[in-house]
Amino acid sequence: MDKLIWLHEDCLRATHNLFAAAPDTPAVFVWDDAYMSAMHFGLKRRVFIYETLCELPVDIYAGDTARVLESFGAAEIVTGKTPNPQLKAVMQELRGGGKVSAIADDPFVRMDSPPELRRFFKYWNKAKKHAFVYDGRP
Amino acid sequence: MHSEPKQFTDRAALIAHVKTLSPCINEGSDEELDNGAPSPIKGGRAAAEAALAAVDPVGYGHSRNYLDGAVTRLSPYIRHGIVSLNELRNLALERGDPKAVEKFIQELGWRDFWQRIYAQNPDWLWHDIEPYKTGFDASDYADTLPADIAAGETDSAAINHFIAVLKSSGYLHNHARMYLAAYIVHWRRVKWQAGAVFFLRHLLDGDAASNNLSFQWVASTFANKPYFFNLENLQKFAGMEAPCDYHNNKCFGGSYDDLALKLFPNSEAA
Repeated sequence: MDKLIWLHEDCLRATHNLFAAAPDTPAVFVWDDAYMSAMHFGLKRRVFIYETLCELPVDIYAGDTARVLESFGAAEIVTGKTPNPQLKAVMQELRGGGKVSAIADDPFVRMDSPPELRRFFKYWNKAKKHAFVYDGRP
Repeated sequence: MHSEPKQFTDRAALIAHVKTLSPCINEGSDEELDNGAPSPIKGGRAAAEAALAAVDPVGYGHSRNYLDGAVTRLSPYIRHGIVSLNELRNLALERGDPKAVEKFIQELGWRDFWQRIYAQNPDWLWHDIEPYKTGFDASDYADTLPADIAAGETDSAAINHFIAVLKSSGYLHNHARMYLAAYIVHWRRVKWQAGAVFFLRHLLDGDAASNNLSFQWVASTFANKPYFFNLENLQKFAGMEAPCDYHNNKCFGGSYDDLALKLFPNSEAA
């Protein structure tokens, strides 16, 4: 298999940029019970996610995330960029067996340098210059 | 390896299947998380689009702090990328001029802010970013959530109402989250981390960054002072939804100065 899309909990949208980055590519969501429990996902959340998956062009497989994804033997895994360290660790593990491309969603604001994150209003004073423009462009 | 089904005869069948796929769901929890009813809020883009059609970004700016205000309830969809911040901002600009939708777009900025912190400082999520500014050390706070809070059987009728809504719907208005978080941390002197886990277990939109960093803002470990409230504030913003009479919520009675002395007796600010 050439490419595989890994859809995780942060990118459950058919118009997410990751689908455009890998057209006509099979997509997989891994239902990883141990991971979801570690992340404190209760039943309500799990039902919500499953209902969302039922409307998406994705196949659902149960098991350990990295093991399930490795079993497809894809040369490249395309997924959504995420700040979640647990998901990033899985991506790093998968890179041992092939390429992993993490595709970012459309940004809320596009900034030429990183904002100060110690207090919200330090961030906002910079972000608001572009936050009120369509697509957040400078 | 076989893929899981995506078509079910009804919602009950889907829920039953989710349960079979979730044998570990109660591990590490004192609660029976798989015995509750599912949320009435449905997953999926179709449900999100119905909510998007009803978004009133101008009305949001006027009434968002009231529990019956024009909030969108889109947070579960935003949390999982079903709706992007970019499309929501663009939608707001189509429905009002930038000044009229300023508060709505600024609240989207809070989500962006939390996510940027998560990417840059993931260690901040479960650790005190700064000391408490309450006159207490972290060691003065309990490690675990008291059973009466988990059960929604506290001495405050309003707090019990918020807990019941959280547990039954998986959603809570932001102001109710602030009230409940402040009650847990400041009135009951429980570590914010215990409250954060309780929220994450029940919220459909539970996000480690938004949830935990907001808890730290309430606790004062990511703010210059603790967030707390009094009964007058509770009655003004929540009185139309929750039982906020004095006799069933005595712990919140008094002025802010009175409550500061009671809650933070060691604090110079009190």
